[in-house]
Amino acid sequence: MIEARNVYKTFRTPDRKEVKALVNFSTHVNKAEVVVIIGPSGSGKSTFLRCLNRLDEIDSGEIIIDGVNIYDKKININKIREEIGMVFQLFNLFPHKTVLENVTLAQQVVRKRNKGEAFEVARGLLHKVGISEKENVYPSQLSGGQQQRVAIARALAMHPKIMMFDEATSALDPEMIGEVLDVMKTLAREGMTMVVVTHEMGFAREVSDRVIFMDAGQIVEEGTAEHFFTNPVHKRTKLFLSQIL
Amino acid sequence: MTFNKRSLITVGILSIITASIYYFFTQKGIIYIWHWEKIPEMLFYYGSKSADDPTPKFRMGVLMMGFVLTLKISVFSIFFGIIIGTVVGIARLSHEPVTRGLSLSYVELIRNTPLLVQIYIIYFFVGSILRLSAFAAGTAALSIFAGAYVGEIVRAGIQSIHKGQMEASRSLGMSYGRAMRHIILPQAFKRIIPPLAGQFISLIKDSSLVSVIALADLMFQAQQAFARTYYAFEIYFTVALLYLVMTFTLSMATQYIERRLAISD
Ligand SMILES: Nc1ncnc2c1ncn2[C@@H]1O[C@H](COP(=O)(O)OP(=O)(O)OP(=O)(O)O)[C@@H](O)[C@H]1O
Ligand SMILES: [Mg+2]
Repeated sequence: MIEARNVYKTFRTPDRKEVKALVNFSTHVNKAEVVVIIGPSGSGKSTFLRCLNRLDEIDSGEIIIDGVNIYDKKININKIREEIGMVFQLFNLFPHKTVLENVTLAQQVVRKRNKGEAFEVARGLLHKVGISEKENVYPSQLSGGQQQRVAIARALAMHPKIMMFDEATSALDPEMIGEVLDVMKTLAREGMTMVVVTHEMGFAREVSDRVIFMDAGQIVEEGTAEHFFTNPVHKRTKLFLSQIL
Repeated sequence: MTFNKRSLITVGILSIITASIYYFFTQKGIIYIWHWEKIPEMLFYYGSKSADDPTPKFRMGVLMMGFVLTLKISVFSIFFGIIIGTVVGIARLSHEPVTRGLSLSYVELIRNTPLLVQIYIIYFFVGSILRLSAFAAGTAALSIFAGAYVGEIVRAGIQSIHKGQMEASRSLGMSYGRAMRHIILPQAFKRIIPPLAGQFISLIKDSSLVSVIALADLMFQAQQAFARTYYAFEIYFTVALLYLVMTFTLSMATQYIERRLAISD
């Protein structure tokens, strides 16, 4: 489903320093696989996700999604993005739109569904994430956990083939983390292909097929969640796990 | 403070100022014979206009005609100013260096030359090439002038929207244009209503400069009426009040819109 080969990505900061965010990075994600990415701050986790839908552009290497090289000059990136849902740490809901409008807008303007269809899809998904009764309120009137669940519904409304989560629960108060993780777990069990940046090792253990530990733009170690709990090999992995567990 | 209280206070303060001026005149022994009775007919009168149009009926007086023209030219210029400004504001943030350079040059050129000079250039030079009427030339000059300032306000408004909004829109498959139209601009406009209102209030006042190209706006009509009658105080107080009616209405309207849009906050 996703194939990244020898990806390099370097940022240039305003003071002209070079930051190597991804260094010869290669991995693959199979259909219906749930991959969790962990790693210290600045290790390139977000950059990898953002390169998968070209919010950031890679310098070299290639990324193939569903058989299409997404850095090919001939492809329409908007078409690719329709198939890849993204959930952000800070939700990024549209504050001037109601919950229902947040979930229907892209369906209508991008997927060209008519209003009735879009509303039906949206209501179904809002029910699924457990906020049906809030469809006419604005995001500012919701708790963080509710906002993130709306954001997930918004992404799912496009019926994407892949869902990416970038620290979807790190901005939440502890008591709201569970409700968002539950939605993510349901998705995982339904067979959604997922790439999840998170430090919730409980989530990783419960639903992930594979965990990738990144540092300095590279994969240091990968394996099942169980492997990371029981016998991590590298020193950096052990040090990192000792900090988050 | 509520909306109505605030307008009440504004009106109250204005009345006090007017009363003080009147007091000053009467108490300081300045001898001036007021001719306020001549003002109403400069606003509305009943009668015939000329031999060509002899039927007696209610007609607008000169000041009211000027008021209507100023209102018209202001509404047109605000409308085109918003359109030009939106395009320029977006262009200023373009990834294309040429688009960015052109829009910046436009803004700098307009902001760093006097409006009066721009009006003359557009009227005499551009206007005579394109055979523009004085009204078209005046509206064009004011729109181009407003467009530069609105462009900078729009640019700042767009930049004030968190970049996560654009990223969320793009990640849903929206094109840059769609994201601008549905997500970024509506939020930016909501945020820039106060500076836009200030800009348009200035524009209404600045529109008095078009009287130099013989456009019969409120200022032009006032100058003509003064030249005929020498009722300087009466005419210019009335003119000030008429400008105030326009600017005050605009400022009330924007406060109303602002409150309406605040429901999603
Ligand atoms: N737009 C940018 N400009 C310059 N440097 C950037 C930019 N985005 C990311 N970086 C740098 O690239 C590196 C990788 O960043 P990235 O956001 O991918 O890390 P991360 O693993 O997601 O970290 P975190 O856990 O803090 O979110 C960091 O050193 C970061 O400072
Ligand atoms: Mg990150």
